[in-house]
Amino acid sequence: MDQSGLSEDVYWALIDVANGLLSGAMLGGYYALIAIGLALTFGVMRLVNLAHGDMLIVAAYLAVVVLQFIPISPFLTLILVVPVMFAIGYGLQRFLLNSVSVQSMEQKGMSTGFGLMSPILVTFGLSIVIAHALLGAFASDARIIKNSLSFSALRLSEDLNVSTLRLIFFCVAVAILIALHVFLRRTHAGRAIRAASDDAEVAPLMGINTGRVNAIASGISLAIAGVAGVMVGMSRTFQPFDGPVFLLVAFGVVIVGGLGSIFGSLVGGILLGITQVLAGTYFGPSAQLVGGYMLILLVLAVRPQGLFAR
Amino acid sequence: MSELLSISRLSKAFGAIRVADRVTLAVAPGEIVGIIGPNGAGKTSLFGLIAGNLRPDEGHIEFDGRDITRLAPQERARAGLARTYQVPKPFTHMTVAENLRVAAVFGAGLEGRDAEDLIDRVLEDTGMRSVRGTLAGRLPLLMRKRHELARALATRPKLLLVDEVAAGLTDHEVNDFIELVLRIRAGGVTILWIEHVMKTMLSATDRLVALNAGRVLASGVPDEVINSAEVRRVYLGA
Repeated sequence: MDQSGLSEDVYWALIDVANGLLSGAMLGGYYALIAIGLALTFGVMRLVNLAHGDMLIVAAYLAVVVLQFIPISPFLTLILVVPVMFAIGYGLQRFLLNSVSVQSMEQKGMSTGFGLMSPILVTFGLSIVIAHALLGAFASDARIIKNSLSFSALRLSEDLNVSTLRLIFFCVAVAILIALHVFLRRTHAGRAIRAASDDAEVAPLMGINTGRVNAIASGISLAIAGVAGVMVGMSRTFQPFDGPVFLLVAFGVVIVGGLGSIFGSLVGGILLGITQVLAGTYFGPSAQLVGGYMLILLVLAVRPQGLFAR
Repeated sequence: MSELLSISRLSKAFGAIRVADRVTLAVAPGEIVGIIGPNGAGKTSLFGLIAGNLRPDEGHIEFDGRDITRLAPQERARAGLARTYQVPKPFTHMTVAENLRVAAVFGAGLEGRDAEDLIDRVLEDTGMRSVRGTLAGRLPLLMRKRHELARALATRPKLLLVDEVAAGLTDHEVNDFIELVLRIRAGGVTILWIEHVMKTMLSATDRLVALNAGRVLASGVPDEVINSAEVRRVYLGA
């Protein structure tokens, strides 16, 4: 393919970079989607949910079950999956995690350190329980949510393509981020979540029921994880024990993007995605993961609070 | 007159340290009651117990004709109890107006126009209109102290617990705060006020309660309390 004045080598080198940037950015949208829920609980509530990845997988299996009974578009399963995941998150926080939060531990006379540690232990246990429950219910066969878009791509030019699914995921991630931003800034419930995350001791003195507010935040976190789970299930196969893979991706994104920054997760996701794809393009497929981890280490070394920490 | 706040035999201990030891005191509507006592006397802990941040081991708290001993802090806030901190604790990532809005919506139970009207009035009364849109975390100390009072007022309290606003301020600034607190009382809010600056306590309060080691040492007319033998011995070191 010859272009005006450009030698073929330069052209293909540029196309490589352009493809890398483009598909890396799209991959970043997908990563952001996986991470937003964790960024919300980790950054805003300072709750480390080690079962976040497993919750994604739960949502993917939920979609599989729905599709077994009603053959609809995978996207429509969200109408059911999202509310169910919200309810799971709300209940989990209200009846389990609130009683091991920092404040409740302090009230019981435990140290702050113990209070920070206990939700980690509880969600770690949850992660194991969920994975084994899924194994019991669905066996270890790899599943995928079948859809017509798996192999579809949009052609931007003769040599530049973008996966349709990835583009949709990217747009969904941006839409969710904007919605979440507006919710946190402009609604009473959103302000209550921010106030409780700012000072959990003072918020109740303003009439805020922090237990309920945290439950709503966790519900939203898992509702978003539900969207991510269905998207994950549409783009790759999954098994009951795949949760930790996504937890790692989400942590990477949150570390790069910065604690407490919702939009940071989009930028973090995009940077991670581009780094991985470019590393893969130039140093072979095995360099993909290494490239990603190098970026995470670099951020931790230079700006440990993350790029967009508030 | 029936009491607005009535505390009876309230006790709380952290291990061997008794922060409240059978504390009994009452506050009538419209009063300004000052609380004095040396460091570690249990003044701030008493506020924690009244506001609901701390749970008492024993005793009862009645507020506005209702037993609130077992109520959560947010329920007490909605019932009309507000507390400020000596070191102001604004929601630092929210603007001044947003801080007050949270208080007006969740504390005072107001919506829409009513909430905005209350916020405007409180900002006006506390001299904070000019910093309405400023992030509360960026306020200088003096403004933070005003903000602490303003946000508490936005919950529309019946009883306001004020914890040391005068500490670290100049005489002039202290006088401004005394005037502000008196205006708040004139607006129908009863006040329980911890302060170390004795001048403030003597000039602005109707009654004084002296605490030491979690116990009520003396209570009554400010001059008499200050001059009582027990208070002189423990507090003034005379």
